[in-house]
Amino acid sequence: MYLIMVYDINKERVAKVLKIARKYLTWIQNSVLEGEITEAKFLKLKYELRKVIKEDEDSIVFYIFTTKLYTSREIMGKEKGKEEIII
Amino acid sequence: MKRAIYIFSDGELKRKQNTLYFESSSGDKKYIPIENTGEIHLFGEVSINKKLLIFLSQEGILLHFYNYYGFYEGSYYPREHYNSGALILKQSEFYLDNDKRFRLAKKFVKGAILNMIKVLEYYNLRGEDLGREIKNIEEIYESLENFSSIEEIMALEGNVKDIYYRSFNKIIKKENFYYTGRERRPPRDKLNALISYGNSLLYSYVLSEIYKTHLDPRIGFLHATNFRRFSLNLDVSEIFKPIIVDRLIFKLVNKGMIQERHFMDEMGGIFLNENGKKIFVEEMDNKLRATIKHRKLGRHVSYRTLIRMELYKIEKHLISDEEYEPFVMWW
Repeated sequence: MYLIMVYDINKERVAKVLKIARKYLTWIQNSVLEGEITEAKFLKLKYELRKVIKEDEDSIVFYIFTTKLYTSREIMGKEKGKEEIII
Repeated sequence: MKRAIYIFSDGELKRKQNTLYFESSSGDKKYIPIENTGEIHLFGEVSINKKLLIFLSQEGILLHFYNYYGFYEGSYYPREHYNSGALILKQSEFYLDNDKRFRLAKKFVKGAILNMIKVLEYYNLRGEDLGREIKNIEEIYESLENFSSIEEIMALEGNVKDIYYRSFNKIIKKENFYYTGRERRPPRDKLNALISYGNSLLYSYVLSEIYKTHLDPRIGFLHATNFRRFSLNLDVSEIFKPIIVDRLIFKLVNKGMIQERHFMDEMGGIFLNENGKKIFVEEMDNKLRATIKHRKLGRHVSYRTLIRMELYKIEKHLISDEEYEPFVMWW
């Protein structure tokens, strides 16, 4: 499935969240990551995040797509990050 | 499914923040999600350190190295994580027993030839007049039963390949890509360059899939096991070359995606240049992830999975569970 992760985290913990998210997804811009992920890896990601965030202060939103087929993506201004397999 | 990463830029690949990090010599910095990476193909000049190799071992990620011309040079094959002494013994037994080895080797040749016929039949149906070539190959295929040594069937496969490659001239729409003869070291024309590059890539994909099974890549059956390289991946690649590489070449050439300007002339040979390689690799990656509806399983599987299923079938053959029958395209 395809996942977009958006977060709003207290600055004390934000670096930790980014570090975890980067293992699974591609950084797009500040507080936004996206990428292909399996169900199992998604569970693993959530498990890792739950250990570092404070539930009453931090917030993470996941947009989940079973397929990328019916989505389109538009960018205004500079593209800061994207998923690349050929570097 | 885990992705393959292809690095053409020069730079340094390292472990950083528990994930992969690539910094190119031009200053681009990039994190690569480790959990979503299955293998890395290195085409550029990339520095790596031990810390990275250990990290890749822990994650079971293979590193494939290609030289300046894009040819496969070797792999970092991490410590086996699916280790089975019993299966290695079986694999060796099937190699050492002439009859058993020959029976398996013949299956690979059979699969390769049948898939070549399938590719030609597809274009024959589209009016390319390949009837005579198909008939020739079929006749040689019939005679396969009369041979009893690996050298003989390899020679026979060589004959089939020659007829097969010659018929490419009826399929390929661009005259400057015509086949004149198979030349490997180095490839002397554009078609040979494409075939060599595609096969090179396929060998490493099959090797990556072997890593996910209990099989030992060093013990092949058709290609003799020797002291320096993997050979099981070469055996299995034979079956998939027509299905994956050759069909991809027709697409790239006929649609004009690969053109004259994507080649370079060096060291007395013709090779794909960097842009050409990138186009090829991207399409090859798409191809491997493309799915087909599997007849037996009744669900969609990717070409990459198809390769892995082939390996499982070989495992089953070795433990005498089920006679191995090579994959033959049914469409």
